[in-house]
Amino acid sequence: MSTLTAEQLGGRAAIPPGPGRAQLVDPRRVRLLSFLFMGLAHVTVLKDRVRGIAFMLVELVFLVTLPTTLGMVGGLITLGEPQPHLPIRERPNSLFMMIDGVMILAVFAIFAAFYVVSVKSAAKLADEINTRGFPDAHQKRFSAVADRAFPVIGLAPTFVMIAFFVVVPLLFSALVAFTNYAAPGNIPPANTIDWVGLDNFRRLFGGNQLWGSAVARVFTWTIVWAFLATGTTYIGGMLMAVVLKNSRLRITPLFRAIFILPYAIPGVVSLLVWRNMLNGAFGTVNRTLAALGITDAAIPWLTDPNLARFTMVMINLWVGFPYFMLLITGTMTSIPAETIEAAKVDGATDWQIFRRIQMPQIVFQTMPLVIMSFAHNINNFGAVFFLTGGGPNVGDSVTTSAGATDIMVSWIFNLTVNLQQYHMASVLAIMIFLIIAPFAIYNFRRTKSYREGEI
Amino acid sequence: MATTSVTRSAQREIDVRRSVRNQRINSAAIVFVLVLVSIIVLWPIVHMVAAAFTPGQSIAQMPVVPFTAGLTTEHFTHLFNNTNYLLWFRNTFIIATSTALATLVLASLGAYVFSRFTFTFKKSFMMSLLILNVFPSFVGMVAIFVILLRIGGLDTLWGLVLVYLAGNLPFTTWMVKSYMDNVPRELDEAARIDGASSFRIWARIIVPVCKPILVFLGITSFVTPWMDFIFPRMVLRSPENQTIALGLFSFVTDRNNFFTTFAAGALIVAIPFIIFFVLTQKMLVSSLAGAAVKG
Repeated sequence: MSTLTAEQLGGRAAIPPGPGRAQLVDPRRVRLLSFLFMGLAHVTVLKDRVRGIAFMLVELVFLVTLPTTLGMVGGLITLGEPQPHLPIRERPNSLFMMIDGVMILAVFAIFAAFYVVSVKSAAKLADEINTRGFPDAHQKRFSAVADRAFPVIGLAPTFVMIAFFVVVPLLFSALVAFTNYAAPGNIPPANTIDWVGLDNFRRLFGGNQLWGSAVARVFTWTIVWAFLATGTTYIGGMLMAVVLKNSRLRITPLFRAIFILPYAIPGVVSLLVWRNMLNGAFGTVNRTLAALGITDAAIPWLTDPNLARFTMVMINLWVGFPYFMLLITGTMTSIPAETIEAAKVDGATDWQIFRRIQMPQIVFQTMPLVIMSFAHNINNFGAVFFLTGGGPNVGDSVTTSAGATDIMVSWIFNLTVNLQQYHMASVLAIMIFLIIAPFAIYNFRRTKSYREGEI
Repeated sequence: MATTSVTRSAQREIDVRRSVRNQRINSAAIVFVLVLVSIIVLWPIVHMVAAAFTPGQSIAQMPVVPFTAGLTTEHFTHLFNNTNYLLWFRNTFIIATSTALATLVLASLGAYVFSRFTFTFKKSFMMSLLILNVFPSFVGMVAIFVILLRIGGLDTLWGLVLVYLAGNLPFTTWMVKSYMDNVPRELDEAARIDGASSFRIWARIIVPVCKPILVFLGITSFVTPWMDFIFPRMVLRSPENQTIALGLFSFVTDRNNFFTTFAAGALIVAIPFIIFFVLTQKMLVSSLAGAAVKG
């Protein structure tokens, strides 16, 4: 967590550390005491009772609950023995054992961090006392102590939320990949879950014909989809931005407002409208085509595997081009007008100006967002679920629940919500981790804090 | 000499004419593209609006040319009298407001601590914020379900708020922190010398100064719950706890198609969104471009 060191302001060097000055506390003794029991050094030598007692309480609570918590970790290892003779309510619930175990491991990690913090804080305090003497009564007032605790209080809620609702779930789902948590045989509380090692991975990557081919198909489509979805919306958005920019019509702002509509309408709404309109039997699209005399055949927009994939990309273009249009319009206005004027004076055509001056600038400036949009499309659950629902079915869909247009995340959703094949879903979640990790690193290295050496 | 100048001026005239003609072709092409794209963009939207006012029930009964099969407001009265629409609206509003408020308070507190204090593990904590940012929170879906089951948060609105809040925090905290780093430290240091406590500085100086980014993030965290589907579907079970997105989806499942009711309900939610986006498009452009440039 954090030491209680508030930001120090000027006046630090009030008493310079004279070379012959006697040490008020012995740093080695402080270190020994602080290692021995959390907060011991604070209470005894450093005379910082409030903080010391707080630290000691933390360790005390930890030690008192240790038998229980160790039992929980044990539960994580065994996951409980099946006891079919007991009524369901009294049987060991492997799921709770697992989540409790993971949470306790997180608590252990937090405790270890506390220990490090307390030792470091003791050393720092000893150092301060040796250079500036013991703090006076003014700094020991309750309000001053409370103020120094501000960083801890301010950060604690965020820390707890992230630890238990982001980190623990990620760890848990990684662990589920090594168990047999799945319907019908292993669903708590009626039955227990067991560790199965790498069985699920073997089944998905080559061991089982059906699952293996489904993984390969869904993985390929996820990547192809992300490329197509990002590429089409980017090119479409750039085209519309350039057209709007070059339009000399007086009603151009009206067109711009119209083009923003797909971005403004919530995705669920527009995708569900499209889904209904594209219905093969009675959708508006096919009936319109028939009325116009173009074709009478019911075109299976969402029920033919390849056509459904194509439709998905096209509808995503409809939904997604305004984002890049807005973005690129913004970047184009940031290109200095003089540059373009100069090019015009030199006799450059509109096309040349666009190709040689505007486009390189746009691409350079928007590249980070294109990359993040690619990562977003890999996980674009809505585009699949609301439009096609993952369908149409292909050969292995009955067993694996992966349809022709399913991408990894929508497949995970099907596996957990419909089929309760949690173990397989977790293997896929790990795969998504691996795909997304480069983007995480990229995003990380791009930040100002990283470039300026802050982290 | 004379002849070359004559040919030159003739050449120039041809150039001008050609460029005028090119420009006309260009303008015509531009108008064509603009009109075509507008039609494609507007077509489903007009159909949706029309369906909300057309008698009938399913998409099959909707006319090919919108607004040609009579007008009615019965879908709206049906929506308010015979479905839980108002309840869904209220639930979603509660969820969205609490999520946005809680996110802003926690993110601005956390960002203040990150930006102005030094402490052990600060670097590792900041790094994990950044990395967690990228992973979609629903990969941990099963675990979140079990944790909520464990703390009694299943099928409650606050359980869903907790899930959204945790999902928002890494990103929003980081955004506010980056904004705060650019706020001169002298502002809060002056207050500190005057004897203000950290909490007071946060409430009286930091939050007002960071208002632009807080408003932006407040809006984004308010908007997301309106149309999110995965988590409400997982967390909320009972009919009285549904949200707008779940309710709308239930109108157009494969089994029963109440497209007109769906369209009426969707229209009510979509209109505020549309007005907001069209009005703020200038701001949107600059904030999007800002994100692109600054990173």
